[in-house]
Amino acid sequence: MNDVTKREASREVATRERQDSALLPLVDIYEEDNALHILADMPGVTREGLSIEVDNNVLSLEGEIQIDMPEGIAATYAEVRAQRYARRFTLSHEIDTEAIEARVDSGVLHLVLPKKETHRSRRIEVRAA
Amino acid sequence: MFGDLRRFNTNQSQGMDWFQQFLDEFFPESWAADIRSVPRGSFPMINVGRTDDAIRVYVFAAGLSTSDLEVNVQDNVLTLRGKREVQLPKAEGEERRPYFRRERFSGEFARSIALPDGLDVDRAEAHFRNGVFEILLPKREELKPRRIEIQAA
Repeated sequence: MNDVTKREASREVATRERQDSALLPLVDIYEEDNALHILADMPGVTREGLSIEVDNNVLSLEGEIQIDMPEGIAATYAEVRAQRYARRFTLSHEIDTEAIEARVDSGVLHLVLPKKETHRSRRIEVRAA
Repeated sequence: MFGDLRRFNTNQSQGMDWFQQFLDEFFPESWAADIRSVPRGSFPMINVGRTDDAIRVYVFAAGLSTSDLEVNVQDNVLTLRGKREVQLPKAEGEERRPYFRRERFSGEFARSIALPDGLDVDRAEAHFRNGVFEILLPKREELKPRRIEIQAA
């Protein structure tokens, strides 16, 4: 009886640990006149394994690492020690969150965060007097 | 999948990584490091797994294409060489774009890892999917685990 509860408790800890452990994907962020761009390295993540959310101006990127590995494989050396990537950014108010676009190619996530129409940069002509 | 790898997390958890990095900076190599080991976060990251009949090397190299990585095995050392160019779409009449973060690796890389003895390199294969290279290095027949029958006397 005692054994059973002990095992259950340790399993709970194990799953919690797995949920907590996430890698921080490395990113490049740059700005264009009409949009901000985020490039994030998330190798092993497919389109289906990605989840991108905006909640209260917080952008969260999450991706599940999905790799086909044979049954019974034992790790001998591991630098990637998590199942998923996760990272959050606070957005400024000029981002049009409705119009965010995302695509993933060879494990690189590319997010385009367009600015709202009213905040786009305008060139101001200087007229000759 | 990688749940197994947690066993190798001997004394640090992922969340402690910053602290580990901090410690590494101040007390480098407090234990004997592998001669080919690299600092944390080097590109590309590598995992190695072993099954009964093969060694599998997983190279986490996002943004590469199949032709960007050169895989070599010599004297039981696996060497990975390649180049990743992080290129920006060029804007009209604009030399540089403002960058807020540049964390992603750009440039040439080379990494080597030691392999165990007894691999059949001639039958090695490599695949690339979703930014991860998988290199399969089969073991030689004579090194595969074998069941030994016990005969009645």
